[in-house]
Amino acid sequence: MLYKKYLKMHIKSSMQYKFNIFLLGISSTLVSASEIISVWLLFQSFSSVGYWGFYEAALMFGIVTTVFSCVECFARGYDEFPTLIKEGSLDRLLVRPVNIYLQIFGSKIEFSRCGKILLGLTVSVIALCNLSISWTIWKAIVLILTFICGILIIFGLMLITAGVSVFTVENLEFLNILTHGSKEICFYPINIYTKWLARFFTFIVPVACFNYLPLNYIMGYGDLPQILCAFAPLIGMLFVIPCFLFFRWCLKKYQGTGT
Amino acid sequence: MRSYFGLFKMSFKGEIQYRTKALSGIMTQLFWGFMYVYLYTAFMGGKIIDGFSISQMATYIWLGQAFFAMRYISLPQNCGAEISNGNVCYKFVRPVNIYDQWFAEHLGQKLSATILRFAPIILISMLLPNNIGLSLPASFTSFLLFLIALMLGCLMAVTLSMLAIFITFKTLSAKGSITIVNTITMLLGGMCIPLPLMPIGVQNVLSWLPFRYISDLPSRIYIGNIGTTDALIQIGISFAWLVALIILGKILMKKALKNTVIQGG
Repeated sequence: MLYKKYLKMHIKSSMQYKFNIFLLGISSTLVSASEIISVWLLFQSFSSVGYWGFYEAALMFGIVTTVFSCVECFARGYDEFPTLIKEGSLDRLLVRPVNIYLQIFGSKIEFSRCGKILLGLTVSVIALCNLSISWTIWKAIVLILTFICGILIIFGLMLITAGVSVFTVENLEFLNILTHGSKEICFYPINIYTKWLARFFTFIVPVACFNYLPLNYIMGYGDLPQILCAFAPLIGMLFVIPCFLFFRWCLKKYQGTGT
Repeated sequence: MRSYFGLFKMSFKGEIQYRTKALSGIMTQLFWGFMYVYLYTAFMGGKIIDGFSISQMATYIWLGQAFFAMRYISLPQNCGAEISNGNVCYKFVRPVNIYDQWFAEHLGQKLSATILRFAPIILISMLLPNNIGLSLPASFTSFLLFLIALMLGCLMAVTLSMLAIFITFKTLSAKGSITIVNTITMLLGGMCIPLPLMPIGVQNVLSWLPFRYISDLPSRIYIGNIGTTDALIQIGISFAWLVALIILGKILMKKALKNTVIQGG
């Protein structure tokens, strides 16, 4: 209910700067477009990596771009949490008798990311049309769960970076490895990287749960047990719980920056 | 000239204060370095593409990461805010050329950011095993030519940033303009995928554009992918591009300034 009001407010305010929003939208879509062009160029030169071809990679790109942009769009408050701290707006949010998490969600909505979401969805659909998949109802469910799992994991990562910034105030650039690094690592199946990198991004930051594992099930590839791959998105979703607890703990420690 | 050198020194000293920022940048660059090396190793799968072996590819990637701070297209500090809040007018009233002011400031920032970051990355990547780490330069001449090409590449990045300032004057959105110029430069300059790994047709087109002189040319001279005579010719071409782009930048800036309305006061 309150969120609807936030949504309306943000639409209204961003419509005041139509050109700016448009330009930001164009530029962020261009970034994603250049990424899919890179993927395409690589597959033009090499045709395949392992048993993965361009369209499989395109589907992975589509999934991760869609979920990442969705989180960037609607959870921008967590993404830009250091700004909230530095400006002292967080103190203002904390004294209000409304759920703090909802307020952080409502503090900023980045509509300029819509172009990226659209690009991600388009690439996913094109990839799905070009892949020969023998569809079953379970595969469709796993695919939908993959998207949801992706959103929750990326959101979890943003909660961690936001939580850390309670102590550091500044946004530390290397924490971008968690968010942007996970994003870029997901353009390709995670098993092509070296073991320690693949393990880190499977067991510690479980991005493989919306990348390599479910696609293994959907495509019917690989030597991993299919049932495990099918349930991977469901297991991956649980990642958001410790992230949330961490963020809640950090927020309790918040002392204000004195502005 | 002395006033430009003063600006250069000031921004150089300013940037060198941010040590935590540099440390954080080094860690980020190390991560990307590892990721790209393993990614392209997986794609290349032991093959040698046009005299571009896996260890040469690794060296190419690590050089790219080590000198990333001078290749990244960005605006001089506060420049975007100055343009949109009107403080840029203080720059106008100074009796020095505005293009040169920004050029000197930006060059200072880029060089000091690089000096803080490059050594640890070079050192760590040198210690890595041969096929994933940084190798020594192909020869002493190629190392000398690499240094010349590296400096020209840095100047090229600053020149392209100047063009981004011009776009910011037109659009008043610093973030949007810089992202557009940076994305194009990264992709066409071989900073996303090493140029030798691109399809031949694309490589031929990109060799006509100025973007590859920022990072592709120095790295390829270093690994010995480009021979001495060829390297000298290419360095000459990159110098010609540099002069042309600076003249273009100055003309465009003059035009932009004629129609500039200072925002606020």
